[in-house]
Amino acid sequence: MKKSIETGTIKAQKEKKVIGKEKKPSIITRRDFIKTAAITGAVTAVAPHIWIKPAWASDPLKIGVMIDMSKAYAFLNKQDLVGIKLAVEDAGGKALGKPIQVIARDHRLDPGIANEKAKELYEKEKVDVIIDVPQSACSLAVNEQSRRYKRLFISVDSGTTVQTGEKCNYYGFDWGYDNYMLATAGGLWAAENLGKKWYAITADYAWGHDLLKNFRAAVEKKGGKIIGNDMVALGTSDFSPYMIKALNSGADVLVLLNAGADTVNSTKAANEFGLKKKMSILHALMFTANIKAAGVNVYEGDYATVSWYWKSQNPGVKSYVDRFKKAMKGSPPHWLTAANYSATLQFIKAVQRAGSKDPDKIIEQLEGHEFRDMFANPGYIYKENHQAINDALIVKCKSQKEITEPWDYFEIVGKVPAKQAYQTPAQSGCKMKRPA
Amino acid sequence: MADVHETNRKRREKIFYGLAVLVLFFLPFFIPYKALGSQILIFMLFAMGYDICLGYAGMLSFGHAAFFGMGAYVTGLLILHQNANILVAIFAGVLCSALLAFPVGYTAIRRRGIYFAMVTLAYAQMFYFIAFKWTSLTGGDDGLQGIPRPDFFGISLQSETRVYYFILGFLLIAILFAFRVVHSPFGHALVSIRESEQRAQSIGFNPARFKLLAFVISASLCGLAGSLYCILQNFVPLKTLHWSISGDIVMMTILGGMGTLVGPLFGGMFVVLVREVLSTYTHLWALIMGVSFIVIVLVFRKGVIGELKKRAVI
Amino acid sequence: MVLSPNRRFQGLGPDESLMNTTTLIMMLFNGLVFGSYLVLLSLGLSIIFGMLGVVNFAQGALYMLGAYAGYTCLLFGLNFWLALLVAPLVVAFIAMLAERFLIRHLYKEADIYVVLLTFGLMLVFEEVVRLIFGDLGRPIAVPDLLSGVVNLGFMYYPKYRLFIIGVTALCAFGTWWFLIRTKLGSIIRAGTDDSEMVDALGIHISRIYTGVFAFGAGLAGLAGILAGPLQEVTPLMGNEILIQIFVVVVIGGLGSIAGSIVAGLLIGEIITLGVLFWPTAAMTSIYVLMAVVLLVRPRGFFGRVGFHE
Repeated sequence: MKKSIETGTIKAQKEKKVIGKEKKPSIITRRDFIKTAAITGAVTAVAPHIWIKPAWASDPLKIGVMIDMSKAYAFLNKQDLVGIKLAVEDAGGKALGKPIQVIARDHRLDPGIANEKAKELYEKEKVDVIIDVPQSACSLAVNEQSRRYKRLFISVDSGTTVQTGEKCNYYGFDWGYDNYMLATAGGLWAAENLGKKWYAITADYAWGHDLLKNFRAAVEKKGGKIIGNDMVALGTSDFSPYMIKALNSGADVLVLLNAGADTVNSTKAANEFGLKKKMSILHALMFTANIKAAGVNVYEGDYATVSWYWKSQNPGVKSYVDRFKKAMKGSPPHWLTAANYSATLQFIKAVQRAGSKDPDKIIEQLEGHEFRDMFANPGYIYKENHQAINDALIVKCKSQKEITEPWDYFEIVGKVPAKQAYQTPAQSGCKMKRPA
Repeated sequence: MADVHETNRKRREKIFYGLAVLVLFFLPFFIPYKALGSQILIFMLFAMGYDICLGYAGMLSFGHAAFFGMGAYVTGLLILHQNANILVAIFAGVLCSALLAFPVGYTAIRRRGIYFAMVTLAYAQMFYFIAFKWTSLTGGDDGLQGIPRPDFFGISLQSETRVYYFILGFLLIAILFAFRVVHSPFGHALVSIRESEQRAQSIGFNPARFKLLAFVISASLCGLAGSLYCILQNFVPLKTLHWSISGDIVMMTILGGMGTLVGPLFGGMFVVLVREVLSTYTHLWALIMGVSFIVIVLVFRKGVIGELKKRAVI
Repeated sequence: MVLSPNRRFQGLGPDESLMNTTTLIMMLFNGLVFGSYLVLLSLGLSIIFGMLGVVNFAQGALYMLGAYAGYTCLLFGLNFWLALLVAPLVVAFIAMLAERFLIRHLYKEADIYVVLLTFGLMLVFEEVVRLIFGDLGRPIAVPDLLSGVVNLGFMYYPKYRLFIIGVTALCAFGTWWFLIRTKLGSIIRAGTDDSEMVDALGIHISRIYTGVFAFGAGLAGLAGILAGPLQEVTPLMGNEILIQIFVVVVIGGLGSIAGSIVAGLLIGEIITLGVLFWPTAAMTSIYVLMAVVLLVRPRGFFGRVGFHE
């Protein structure tokens, strides 16, 4: 090594990238290189084309659940798993004569990991369906794998409409909600009941833009108008300028098209500037857990759209909630947990009706099916784009003195029927490729 | 005399490498699922490429996610929109990463040592942000979805096993290339610059030029890893550009042993495997990894392979 | 395939007439508030670097710890004012432990090892906080005395934000005064330039190292609890701001007090105003500025030539 440095600069610079002719301490020679390339090529060409053998027909029904167990949604998602297990229980615990298995995986809200786990679940665990998968990017990734492996996937916790639209997949279903429904149900109801002049604060990325577009359509349908909008970068902590503008606009409704930290920060700012005295606030996406985290006084009087609430009057809700509370030490289920329950229950029932684990036969049972359970009363699954629809509920956040028991943060103030709240398949733009 | 020990050491070294190659060839058959194996290979490649920058050029970069992501997105876009040939797409990914490395490296190298770390981190964050906003090109937060896996000269790569060996081929070629670079006069000069820039300068080397070239080579290899990642995953998540990926690579390289090339290969495999196994057993896995990292930096600075080499085991 | 950057939603940009002078001045003040966090954090970062030659990658995590320490104080019934005092001390204490038992061992090694260690500390701090407090945000309320707005004559402005600006100004001035005007401060500055000489004079340089590191961390912790009531307190809240303070110190000059203050306020204003007028580019503009500074004046505006380069 020392030799080559002392030899001088010119030689060193010329030989910068030349494969040296002098003896090197490296153990790899040109022959090794050729050998390796040849072997690799050969192996690649003849490697057994290992595909999933259909010999899983005799195995018990396996339900794969992919959720976030360690990051931002962990608290909410752990509830989903409990809900799914309760659904298995309620379906009798068995399908086709064998006990049902539930296999859970943590995707840590990372689409790359979700992609990996989907492959693992379909290939190694040979699950018959993957349920849940929160976060749109993760859900879309699993949707692709579902298409490749030709196995069922029911997406619940993700809002993207792409899944039942542009990227619709014969083996994929969407349950619980989507961005269109949140915006449309909220927009229609609030434009009718809260006011016609709207100001929007939108998280500046695809999800926010999508919501804004749908809200505008819904509001205008009821003769309202979004008179001002601010695109706000994700992670903004200071919403004060937008609040000032909203105040000066004279709007009746402030709609906050953001989630997570942005919702907390924007709502805190709204409080700080006394917005609530002048206008109503409507949120795009809200869970009781958000209220618990930030405090009742932050969200008091605000509105949001949900698919279900634990105090809803649907038959079966009370017993579900009681059993859930027992399993979760007192906290009642949030609305997407109920959606997961419903998806699981209906899937198992479809399997039982089909009398088989064959994906095509199960899909046949699900398409165009109307069902009633404690989540959706009634619910319906569109054949053309595999969207399960349900009535949307408009809730209002209670003030401290209105709350009579722990976690009772919402009051149901309105309902938007399913067919109005969700897109029609034609609107979704889905051109589903069906197997021949 | 030292000769006997040296002969024994060389023998152990050959056995070690032989075993390693065997493991790589048969990995798909004894890990839980094949896609995991492919992921291991990709991160091994990523870490090794990174080592050229950190271990050999002595530059602590926290921005290599930018090159990984660049490779992934370019390859993905070409396959998705232009139906490109798989080799063309991969080559384009590598090329674009290399091209990106020139301006980034040129400005960053003006500040040595720890400044370099901060600057590369900031650049990577900028690219992340650009990709995030440019939804029409990159898909933004959703990432680039639904990328089909092209055939390799008529051979279908749909099977996870086939694609594993495909990636393995690239990894082996990359390893050979990296070894050549590192054991060439260029590589030796790089090490001398790392040890003492002043001394190297007095001999007549231009440190900046060497370091920039090393940076570009490193970026290219990491770009290759990104391209292969895209092909494996059928999609490119925005996460590929996130600085936590850069942090992961640093961890793998240090753990394995920086400046050895083999170390990061080992580190890449180790971290991906351990993460996979740990995360199924405990939710403390991230804490365990963080603490292990601190212990390694404090006590086993040379990493696993580095320590083994230091003690002349291999 | 559309190859143009995402444009703001057509036709619904902010209404120009709603953007008047008052709003603009308010935004300038908001820029000062955000700049205040950046000043405190980069001041700490600069001082730690100036003294120990360490780029503290854990500075963002210490900021986050400050917010959580404040939250915990409030949980235990302390009022906000006590929490304001206790939280930075807690963070300084944690940093002191880290320096004495971990970081110290690596001073004689290559620079990057300490950086890596602080990086590892950042990961560990985040995980521990996540395991204890979970991922959901924790609320810190604005103290009653400081809630509401104050009439500045030309506009109303929240009291609490003025408080932040005030506290930061006090700390920045206090730090400057301490380092330039006091005996201990001059020892610290001397130690920056020549630690061996200081050691030879019989002053325990290692204690000063610990003290400086703890002080820099304390500033970060203070920033954290000040920021707490205005934004969500989550384990990851330190990540984005870490990268921003890196930009600040590169532009201002690592190791320079004046640089941290000026650049901190400047970047704070750029981000705050930029996000309002040009959201797409606001974030990237600071990195472009950083690149320009690197090309034109690599040591930063106030940095010293050859200083720990």
